[in-house]
Amino acid sequence: MSGARRISGMRLERVLPYVQVMPLAAVLLLFLVVPLVFVGLLSFWEFDDIQYYPSFTLANYQELFASPLTWKLMADTITFTAVVWLLTVLIGFTCSYFLTFHIRTLRVQILLLLICTIPFWTSNVIRMISWIPFLGKQGVFNQGLIAVGVIDQPLEFLLYSDFAVIVCYVNLFTLFMIVPIFNSMVKIDLSIIEAARDAGANSWNILTNIIIPLSRSGIVLGTIFVVTLVMGDFFVVKIMSGSQSANVVSAMKNEIDQLYYPPAAASAMLLILIVVLMITLVLRIVDVRRELVQ
Amino acid sequence: MKESESTVKIDYSRRSFLKKASAASAGIAATGAVSGFPMVWANKLKDVELLHVGPSYSVIQEIADQASKDLGFKIQVQTAWTDALLTRIANQPDTVDVADLEFWATKRIWQRGNLQPVAIREIDLWDKIYPIFSKGEYPNGAKVSTQGALPYEVQYASGPGSKEIHSGPTDYATIIPTVYNADTLGIRPDLIGRPIESWAELLNPEFSGKTAILGIPAIGIMDAAMAVEARGDIQYGDKGNMTRAEIDQTIEIMKDLKSRGHFRAFWSSFDESVNLMASGEVVIQSMWSPAVTAVKTRGIPCVYQEMKEGYRGWGNGMGLMAHLDGLKRDAAVAYLNWYLSGWQGGFIARQGYYSAVPETARDHMSEDEWGYWYEGRPANDNIVDPYGNLMGKAGEKRDGGAFAKRMGNIECWNTVMDENRYMVKKWNEFTAS
Amino acid sequence: MSFYLLAGFFALFVLFLYGPMSSIFVLSFQGPEGGLTFPMRGVSVHWFDVLFNSQRGDAGAAFRRSAGLGLLVMGITTLLSFAAGLAFRRKFVGSGFIFYLTVISLVMPGLLISLGIGQLFQIVGVGTNWYTSGLGAHLTWTLPFGLLIMFAVFGRFSRSLEEAARDLGASRWKILVHVTTPIIFPGIIAVALFGFTLSYDEIARSVLAIGTKNTLPLEIFNMTQNVTTPDLYAIGTFTTVVSLLVILISLWSIAFIQRNRAGTPGKQ
Repeated sequence: MSGARRISGMRLERVLPYVQVMPLAAVLLLFLVVPLVFVGLLSFWEFDDIQYYPSFTLANYQELFASPLTWKLMADTITFTAVVWLLTVLIGFTCSYFLTFHIRTLRVQILLLLICTIPFWTSNVIRMISWIPFLGKQGVFNQGLIAVGVIDQPLEFLLYSDFAVIVCYVNLFTLFMIVPIFNSMVKIDLSIIEAARDAGANSWNILTNIIIPLSRSGIVLGTIFVVTLVMGDFFVVKIMSGSQSANVVSAMKNEIDQLYYPPAAASAMLLILIVVLMITLVLRIVDVRRELVQ
Repeated sequence: MKESESTVKIDYSRRSFLKKASAASAGIAATGAVSGFPMVWANKLKDVELLHVGPSYSVIQEIADQASKDLGFKIQVQTAWTDALLTRIANQPDTVDVADLEFWATKRIWQRGNLQPVAIREIDLWDKIYPIFSKGEYPNGAKVSTQGALPYEVQYASGPGSKEIHSGPTDYATIIPTVYNADTLGIRPDLIGRPIESWAELLNPEFSGKTAILGIPAIGIMDAAMAVEARGDIQYGDKGNMTRAEIDQTIEIMKDLKSRGHFRAFWSSFDESVNLMASGEVVIQSMWSPAVTAVKTRGIPCVYQEMKEGYRGWGNGMGLMAHLDGLKRDAAVAYLNWYLSGWQGGFIARQGYYSAVPETARDHMSEDEWGYWYEGRPANDNIVDPYGNLMGKAGEKRDGGAFAKRMGNIECWNTVMDENRYMVKKWNEFTAS
Repeated sequence: MSFYLLAGFFALFVLFLYGPMSSIFVLSFQGPEGGLTFPMRGVSVHWFDVLFNSQRGDAGAAFRRSAGLGLLVMGITTLLSFAAGLAFRRKFVGSGFIFYLTVISLVMPGLLISLGIGQLFQIVGVGTNWYTSGLGAHLTWTLPFGLLIMFAVFGRFSRSLEEAARDLGASRWKILVHVTTPIIFPGIIAVALFGFTLSYDEIARSVLAIGTKNTLPLEIFNMTQNVTTPDLYAIGTFTTVVSLLVILISLWSIAFIQRNRAGTPGKQ
């Protein structure tokens, strides 16, 4: 190898990453950053029943922050997110634990994991509406309970309620918890657990001191997915509650449907702020990149 | 309805249309695309494609197919709900040729200038259009309720190039009326077991947990207002244009009911309302006419109940988008004329809607069908919808009776209020409460 | 003991996952007289016929559009994530920022993105379309997944093989094509698979940015608003079968490649 070639090689070495990452960065710039900046601009524009006008007004924000609705929606969104997060983490962790430590053969592990993931490939809308004939007053579940004599009146809270919304979320999104947690759990070296057991640790100690910490990256990743999906949803909360509950995004969708873009943009900005803060916090606590690479 | 005895025979076969069109094009030499030679014109015409977009209860493939056959050019249809259609007209007006709009939506969107007016003289059957649209009155001269957006108030445009809606007749129409109906509450008579005759029953604690209303704010609040007024809580100045105080009061009452679990759901789609009713989740709710028949076709008793306070009326019309010109515009006008000429009127009558020109619709219906759908007479034979589903058995009468009786009893019209924005916000509060 | 408890829990979860969904599959084979609920009135494929041959909906065209968009998104996502994955193996200025941007893209509620893109295109005066604005909107969803998967893949990747190849005098390009790519190929398939299915089922990012022609999920969503017959379920069954075929083909291709490579170094 000649010296010149080596130098050009080193220069290439320095430039190459930028070339490689450029297309991805360009797409994100064009379709993420620019549109969101535009939403930011839009939130300062004026509007009437007919259209919106470039301008600079704080009215949309004043209205947003003055309205008790804003905070109610925010609180509801956070409640939904927290409850669904807790449920999916518990279910996801338990299922992954079962798959990792109780299923011995790789083949069966993969098979069972595949069984968990198949519904993911179906339309979410279809999976959502399939709950309606199931949970209704005349639905399979109520009629079953009545048939075996547990209840004599159908349970009404099952459908068109927050309960139905949460059931549907858990049904749709638990997978996003199972896969990452399983993925990090599988990498745990069994000899560590053996060693701990030899040293006299009980199952609980092993769970809390070894398995949970070592599954951390999966839990964090799953959390990011689930929180994102629940916070961004606008149709499950509408359909499954029979339009009797709302969250930030579904209320925003109502405004958009009415062509009131600037106030929708203002609530969008508030949501963006919250999401960015949350993610910055998560990334502070856990270095997702390093965790992934390990 | 005796004036409908005089039948107007209009044959919109392709030939007669071409004859008319070539005569018209000779007159309007200004449109460059029309050379005046019928053959050339016809050759170009067959390449025209029109896209007609609107809600699925009005924009129907079978109708477009028949129109394409009769007119000799292709009409494509695409369904979009009113809110989606408004968004599309506002943001991508060039992707629609003919917009199928509710009158209240026209009130909302017209001033953006994305649609163009149609000269009255271009519409052959304008004089035959049911006068609640063209004159704001019934055939006998009685005035129609002006609560909400009475179609007549939105019917006329100031003229070409103007974005204004004109109050009172001009030579230009905004949209050409097509279908309309009188809406009320649907009930399950078998599960209620007693007569229902007032909107107030929607709020009756007897039906707690078994009622539903429409979740679309603009229409939902009006159903709520009908019930609240019927119960005597509020006397509205105009239910179709509430003051902020009236909106606040209405929403407060609704919130209170909601907190007590009075409503099973607020439906936002046609099929939700069908399923709610058919499954017995609710026994009384706002409904649309075809939804009631959809429940009935499953063999479940369901009545579109006439109420003493009257109906909530609505109407749809077809508007030409501003970008249409030349040959394509001529074709679109021909399509509008075809629409009023009867085939479509007969078709939609069989799903319970009324035609803007009832007398041409009559030519495309059997005497028995006309008697059942328009005159409220008992059917002699089984009545079926356009797809062959049983709508009414021999001997049965249409819910609410005759056309004149139903449309004659409109209490208020679907609308968009001046305080729409405030109302939507309040409605969001109600939903989130 | 704990095995049976956990196995029971897992079985319940699977039941929870499949119970309601399977009733949809069964109901899609209703007889022509059947409705949206049990009981079955005969068994037929009538509703599949209605789905594709009736003039009423646009399901067939919507499916072709969604499949086309899915493939396009799949191709672009795979290429761009792979390239970016390579970039992130080295340190470069701004890598932290781009990673941060990717995560933001992942977590941003989809409706905000489609709102932004839709209104931006509108104000610039370009019409929204599934293959322009829609494609871009979908990429903001699939690229983060792609990049995260590439991180995981390269994280487990040993550089020693590349170094060995370099010592043997292989060019950078040769190493990429003959060493790196074959080893991480299953990862690339995973990215492609995610790219396709995430796009194929996306609603929030489509709804305001896809233009006037619906993709399949939007069409299905529309159908839930005005269809009261089992063709709604037929479309559910159909899309599931399509998705299953896609996974089976992918799994098969991974297995095929692995088998062909059996014995060669680089097996993970």
